[in-house]
Amino acid sequence: MRLLLVEDEPDIQSFLQSSLKEAGYEVAAAIDGKTAEQLAVDGKFDILIVDLGLPDVDGITLILKLRQMGVSAPVLILSARRSVDDRVRGLEQGGDDYLTKPFALAELLARLRNLLKRNSPAGSDTTKLHVHDLELDLLRREATRSGQVLQLTSQEFVLLEYLCRNAGRVVTRSMILDKVWGMRIEPETNVVDVHIYRLRGKVDGKGQQPLIRTLRGVGYVLKDR
Amino acid sequence: MHSAAWRISLWATLAFACGTMLVFVFLHRFVADDIQRRSDAWLSGEVEVLGDVAERTPKDALYDRVVGEVAELAGKEVPNKDLSESSSNDSVFFLQTGSDGSLKLWVGAGSGAPNLKAIQASRIVPDQPTDLNVQGFPVPFRVASDRIDDGSYIYLGLSERDELRVLRNLRLRFFLLWLLLVLLGFGIVFFTTRRMLSHVRGITEAASRIGHSDLSARVPTTERSDEVGNLALTLNRMLDRIENSMHQLHTITDSLAHDLRSPLTAIRGKLEMSLSTGSHGDQAEPIVSVIEELDRLTDFLNKSLDVAEAKADALRLNRSELDLDELLRIMIDLYEPSMSEKGLRIGLQSSGPRRVEADAALLHRMIANLFDNELKHLPAARTVSLKLTVEDDCASLIVEDDGPGFDPEVLPHLFERRVKGKDSNGHGLGLAFVDAVARAHGGAVAAGNRESGGARLVITLPLHD
Repeated sequence: MRLLLVEDEPDIQSFLQSSLKEAGYEVAAAIDGKTAEQLAVDGKFDILIVDLGLPDVDGITLILKLRQMGVSAPVLILSARRSVDDRVRGLEQGGDDYLTKPFALAELLARLRNLLKRNSPAGSDTTKLHVHDLELDLLRREATRSGQVLQLTSQEFVLLEYLCRNAGRVVTRSMILDKVWGMRIEPETNVVDVHIYRLRGKVDGKGQQPLIRTLRGVGYVLKDR
Repeated sequence: MHSAAWRISLWATLAFACGTMLVFVFLHRFVADDIQRRSDAWLSGEVEVLGDVAERTPKDALYDRVVGEVAELAGKEVPNKDLSESSSNDSVFFLQTGSDGSLKLWVGAGSGAPNLKAIQASRIVPDQPTDLNVQGFPVPFRVASDRIDDGSYIYLGLSERDELRVLRNLRLRFFLLWLLLVLLGFGIVFFTTRRMLSHVRGITEAASRIGHSDLSARVPTTERSDEVGNLALTLNRMLDRIENSMHQLHTITDSLAHDLRSPLTAIRGKLEMSLSTGSHGDQAEPIVSVIEELDRLTDFLNKSLDVAEAKADALRLNRSELDLDELLRIMIDLYEPSMSEKGLRIGLQSSGPRRVEADAALLHRMIANLFDNELKHLPAARTVSLKLTVEDDCASLIVEDDGPGFDPEVLPHLFERRVKGKDSNGHGLGLAFVDAVARAHGGAVAAGNRESGGARLVITLPLHD
């Protein structure tokens, strides 16, 4: 996976570069918009990380310019600002994602994987999802495990669907809040955990192999094998 | 009807009408006096001439005829006479009494008997024209008299009809003209003030729009440099300065946020990396707790900046139309499991969609703040009840619980930064943030304790029209 990292802060750039490399990405780094453009022309990237506060050009302008140049890879926007303006929101609706500094590395990696997967066309419009012995009928809004129908509320179904679509990948609490409830909040209480706990109670019955796993300090993952 | 333009023009017109009316009353009196003076002069002159004629004419058979004709001739030179009705001369009479007071000679319309009767009833002094009401004539006569040597009196009467007609014409014309002027004046005043005030209204509307949302907009200006034009210019200059300081504040908070967030990001990242390399197992625990402290610091930084911006009315809102009822239901759906886990109940009373134009992200954070507070502070087995109602053009959200309520000591300072209850472990920004978000949207928050115990918060937000 080739990744273009556009970040002007040397400290952040260095630790991002090494941790991204460790996560298996082939990283090219740029410290400003101009370098980023040159790199984007020369090589093909699967995903981009762009900081909004660049010294020479506004991050959004850079992304729009790259898009015009034919770069179609998804972008993860890094922003030091918390209130997100309409342009970022527009990009987010266009399939890109954003993350506010400071962030957890796990969050960054989870969102990157999410973006990459979202960008791959396969399996986006199936009507049934299969993970292990779990089956989700998206039309009838019904979940079964080993043939047994699970009594889920509609919200629990949406949550499980989100986990299934990201089976095998870590999803963080803020990703769940963002994608399942459609809000970017940082609750001071364990609201998401309780939802997962309840869902787990229904999905992972007695004697069955537990599917929903908690990764401490990071988030959750639905085991796919 | 209640507009200032209407009131101004009404009062201006009233003052103008009264003034002109007063002027006319003086003018009228002056004209009436002058006309009377002229009639009196004519009467005095004529009665003297007639007296002379009556004295000198021999008292023979022709006396009546001679004096009568002279009197009739005089009657044709009446001042102010309307020439059109000269067929029968009833505006003048001549009357001579004998020394015994009987009617001796009569020239005029009618028999002269009522005239004589009226003359005898009133005391007429020679050389002093007097008003005389005669039965059978609607208009009084002005009568002058003279005494002749043989002891008889002659009287010359001039009807005031013509004088009154002149004055009536004058009044009628004045009144028509006056009415026209008053109406015209009212119209002119009304339209000019309304035009001027419509500029003021335009400025007010624009200013209130600016106050609510867009600080980069300006009030409309006119090319004229009158008071209203100056008002617009002054307002715009003021807005320039406000926008400028707002911009500076944003720059400061942005760069502060940036300058703090960048090192925080780097520190956090490096700590996480040292965790993942995992060579030093015994150091993992302190590193994790440092990361948690960093996250708390970040949270505090975020909320502080939000509250600081909001206190300065500088929160950047990304407004969109949204349904408060739906938003609350989703938030309740999110928090309900945590609440029931703690033995709390939460319920919403709402009568349907309530559209507001608001920043969804900020409202989410505001409600999450409230719910987090309830989760942290409410003892088990209590109820949080939400009520969404409409009052005047505002949606009002009432959040009540049956817990211990707010500490009375803290209550007056609830919305200030860094204020928190004795047992709270938060950073005391929660309610300040709630207040700030509501105010940024043009709403308000009121907090207090219920009489039956428990806390009560009322958040009002303007409805979308």
